[in-house]
Amino acid sequence: MDILETLMRLPRSLSLLFLGCASLFAQPVPAKHARVELIAENTGVTPGHKLLLGVHFQLEKDWHMYWINPGDSGQPPVIRWQLPSGFSVEEVQWPRPEKLKSSQSADYVFKDDLLLMIPMTVPSSLNSNSPAVDLNADVNWLICREICLADRARLHLALPVSSTPSPDKRHAQLFGHARQLLPQAWPARWKATATSNKDDFVLSITAGKPLREAEFFPLEFSQIDNGAPQPWRVTAQGARITLKKSEQLVKPVSTLRGLLVTRDGRAYELAAPVVQ
Amino acid sequence: MKKFLLSIASLSVVFILISSALAAKVGEPAPDFTATDSNGTRHHLADYKGKYVVLEWHNQGCPYTRKHYDSGNMQRLQKEWTSKGVVWFTVISSAPGTQGYVTGQQENEYVNKMKAVPSAVLLDPEGTLGHLYAAKTTPHMYIIDPSGKLIYNGAIDDHPTADPSDIPTSRNYVSTALQQAMNGKPVSDSATRPYGCTVKYKD
Repeated sequence: MDILETLMRLPRSLSLLFLGCASLFAQPVPAKHARVELIAENTGVTPGHKLLLGVHFQLEKDWHMYWINPGDSGQPPVIRWQLPSGFSVEEVQWPRPEKLKSSQSADYVFKDDLLLMIPMTVPSSLNSNSPAVDLNADVNWLICREICLADRARLHLALPVSSTPSPDKRHAQLFGHARQLLPQAWPARWKATATSNKDDFVLSITAGKPLREAEFFPLEFSQIDNGAPQPWRVTAQGARITLKKSEQLVKPVSTLRGLLVTRDGRAYELAAPVVQ
Repeated sequence: MKKFLLSIASLSVVFILISSALAAKVGEPAPDFTATDSNGTRHHLADYKGKYVVLEWHNQGCPYTRKHYDSGNMQRLQKEWTSKGVVWFTVISSAPGTQGYVTGQQENEYVNKMKAVPSAVLLDPEGTLGHLYAAKTTPHMYIIDPSGKLIYNGAIDDHPTADPSDIPTSRNYVSTALQQAMNGKPVSDSATRPYGCTVKYKD
């Protein structure tokens, strides 16, 4: 099935490769069951100002890609940058994924539309009369439905140098929406601690009020059993949640890191010290 | 009488499955099983006591499985370790109608074409064996030692990609674990995160 698919798509991806190399402007690159494009929040680069870049995937219906912790299968997209000297990028800002459960395992995935935001530092020494700046990214990813396909693209974006930052209106909504999907910082007044038992962790959250059901998405592999139910007990001051340990867990965990994701889709960055 | 014995036999299989409590934990006895291979031969894990047994979850269409077969890496491992007396079971848990499901004959043709040399390919379309070991991905590797204890559960190596070019620089967890165990040493990485495609179980 996927050999056939690869063969069928080969001429198309080859022609696009040439197109991508020749073009000075960003073009969405058709890929296997997706389109991918390199975009920027502003219309140009401004010396000394950070610029938010975005690798934008538009996925065909029912296909998915993976979070930084993909869960029990899959692989997150990887971006390798080629930037002019003096430019540098920070870590990818990962939006909150959704949990995709199968019979006894679970993955953390993105469907439909995914914008990976990456802040880029523009050197203040950049001359404002410089020609357009070339940004190149080699992106590798895995896209799955019932089957999985590995894919890659070389993305290109040429941006003029501008003395003042000006937002690119075409992408304002996209970046705005992606920001809403970013996990929020853990509320300062909330506390999270965990105890380690033989087969599970019990995560206790103190929030000063009873907390409604949410789910824990681990940031690190092989700590909890992704597919196991996470029994949630509401307490007067918050909640207690039981997390079954992963069968791959052999070393003690000092901190449980991840997201606490509420039923309405809000996500909080959580780091709970573990008492052995 | 024969029928009666047969039903006792099948009951005992069910009992074995239940009593193992659906877990494959490193350091504990590996869950026992009986399964049929691509040639119709039945294999009972307990009959292989005294030998190392490798379980390799497989799906011929998965890009991660293909990384290790198209490059010849999996075949090399099968050849090396079976020549040292290890029993190597490739296991296919794809349900009928899903990617990777094959009949015995189709699998034999694939094994032939790929020059794969497992001891046998176990067909598990119901997912019984897969669920018993909680196999998550293709590939997902397990090693059982001669006493019947599970000594490895996890990835094939330390490069979780579908890119064959990183195989030469990868640390192969299966070879490392077998070498260490055969030298009487503890297995340094006995449980790792398996990587690959989801096993295509029956819903």
